[in-house]
Amino acid sequence: MMDKKTRDILITNFFAVVLGLILSGIMILFLKKNPFSVFGILFSSMFRDGYTIGEIFVKATPLIFTALAFAFTFKANLFNIGAQGQFYIGSITAVSVSLLIPSALAIPVAIVLSFLAGGLWGGFMGVSKAKFKANEFLISMMSTYVALNLMNYLLRTILMESKGEYPQTESLAKSTWLFKIVPHTRLHFGFILAILAAVTVWLILYRTTFGFRIRAVGQNQEAARMSGVNPEIIYIISFIISGGLAGLAGVTEVNGVQHMLLQGFNPSIGALGIGIAILANGNPIGIIFASILFGALHVGGTIMGQLSGVPSSIINLMEGFVMVFVIISYFVRRKWEMNRDKKLLMEGNV
Amino acid sequence: MLINLFSRAVLMSTPLLLGSLSEVFSERTGVMVTAIEGIFLMGAWAGFTAAYITGSLAMGLLYAALSGLLVAMLYAYIVVTLKQHQIVTGTAINILILGLCSFLQRVVFGVPLSPLTVEPLQKIAIPLLSKIPFIGPIFFQQNILTYSIYVLVPLGYFILYKTSLGLVIRSTGENPEAVDVSGISVSRVRFVTVSISGIICGIAGAFYSIGYLGKFTTNMIGGRGWIAFAICFLGNWNPIGAFVGTLIFGLAEAFAILMQANASTILPNELFISLPYILTIVLTISRKSFNVPSKLGVAYYEEH
Repeated sequence: MMDKKTRDILITNFFAVVLGLILSGIMILFLKKNPFSVFGILFSSMFRDGYTIGEIFVKATPLIFTALAFAFTFKANLFNIGAQGQFYIGSITAVSVSLLIPSALAIPVAIVLSFLAGGLWGGFMGVSKAKFKANEFLISMMSTYVALNLMNYLLRTILMESKGEYPQTESLAKSTWLFKIVPHTRLHFGFILAILAAVTVWLILYRTTFGFRIRAVGQNQEAARMSGVNPEIIYIISFIISGGLAGLAGVTEVNGVQHMLLQGFNPSIGALGIGIAILANGNPIGIIFASILFGALHVGGTIMGQLSGVPSSIINLMEGFVMVFVIISYFVRRKWEMNRDKKLLMEGNV
Repeated sequence: MLINLFSRAVLMSTPLLLGSLSEVFSERTGVMVTAIEGIFLMGAWAGFTAAYITGSLAMGLLYAALSGLLVAMLYAYIVVTLKQHQIVTGTAINILILGLCSFLQRVVFGVPLSPLTVEPLQKIAIPLLSKIPFIGPIFFQQNILTYSIYVLVPLGYFILYKTSLGLVIRSTGENPEAVDVSGISVSRVRFVTVSISGIICGIAGAFYSIGYLGKFTTNMIGGRGWIAFAICFLGNWNPIGAFVGTLIFGLAEAFAILMQANASTILPNELFISLPYILTIVLTISRKSFNVPSKLGVAYYEEH
């Protein structure tokens, strides 16, 4: 028997998704298309063949990392909304490593260095929060734009392809690609890495003293300090791990999917990661499933755009609606919980 | 050249100041408008679309204000009425609006073969004042939105510090219990303030589309809403502070545009584009004394 809280989360999130779909359906009416047939195409195209199903997991992979990045600091009541920038730093590192070491050795080195590079970039925010009491929310937001411009600069200078035509790197040597885990799809080792990351994050948060300290600081910083936890250290380490997780998304996208780095690379996975973390209520295991849901919407939406003439931006709209309803459902759950408590009190069962 | 730079700085400051001024008022009541990036974008889209269809910039500004109001009311409903988390809600709304604007752009205009443009707001030279050497061309040959900030800053300062309304606004962010006890609804003060901020931020967004470029793209706001948000912090939640902060940022942005146009080869363009963002980071870290409204970001539960 599932506990009442988990059941509430599943029920309300289900309705949030359905309401999001209904509102997007109404938007489709503006295009003078039949929303039912459009949604029919959306859902049937997600599962039309093995390759497409594989794509769902390919799309979910970086989202798991950016959602974990947000969730990790969120547990310490910190806001890292700059996962996008940490992802860019991870991507720059992954592509540089893979171009310098064109062999299979590049993969483990890229994984370690991208984690460290993203972690350093994120750690800077943790240090500014801990040492200067700077607003980490603002700094992480602004640093995303700095990372983007850094990437753009490198792409048209030292990382630029030798043809010198487009702002992108050379294609990576095949030996540096993440190997495929399912034949005839693009599904690569990065997905397993993402699952491992989610499980590790869950273990750290809920099964270690360090995770307990993070959550204690998140619940009540002063109480945690009184009981001997140093919140400043927690800030710094949380941000390093958070930035590192977002940096890993760089490896899975560069070595796993694109096999190069190019301008305008995955511009919205940071923001979507926040949405996914909210949808999953910050739970690392929930994040895996929520990411797969968003991945499926993206894959279905792209094909739908080609087949039905409905622009694929409807997917972003749908995700936006779902996120807003998910937030509203936090309110609904609180209400339900209060009513339950009230009932218990009236029955005198407390 | 210098006149050109400063005059552009004043121009670029306009939407940032409108945004940060509305942010100052909302945050003084305890509500951060983290949906500001989305409101800017919505205003930019609605302003451009209405101006393109009706051929009137005034209609553009009107629709920008209305659309900003709607987004702000949605935000206020979730964070004030339903008391949900402000940063999380703002992020969700920003994603929603980005999707909405790219979708609506496609619904209204399809896939246009040539770029769609409108004639941007005209510069109006103020008689006599615009003839003052140096200062005249910088401050008094601007468009009507820029002139509006000359009025709004002192007016905002006056309302916030010299009227009973301002006292209510400031108390709502500092000591909502006292406001509640005196018979004023905390939620209503917050809801109305955020809504009015939405109107002003919608107009600020329209500044980017119809104020000087005369076109719309979904990435045109590019974090400017967040910069306005940051200026409110850096200006210590004070209209005068916001004014000074905005001028610095306007100057940074004007300088960036100037350097890009002159294609200096010593330093990369990307560095100049990053300048306002780097500036925000440096200032956020180096500022020591902040007068944060004590209940900023904290939901208030009324006693019943």
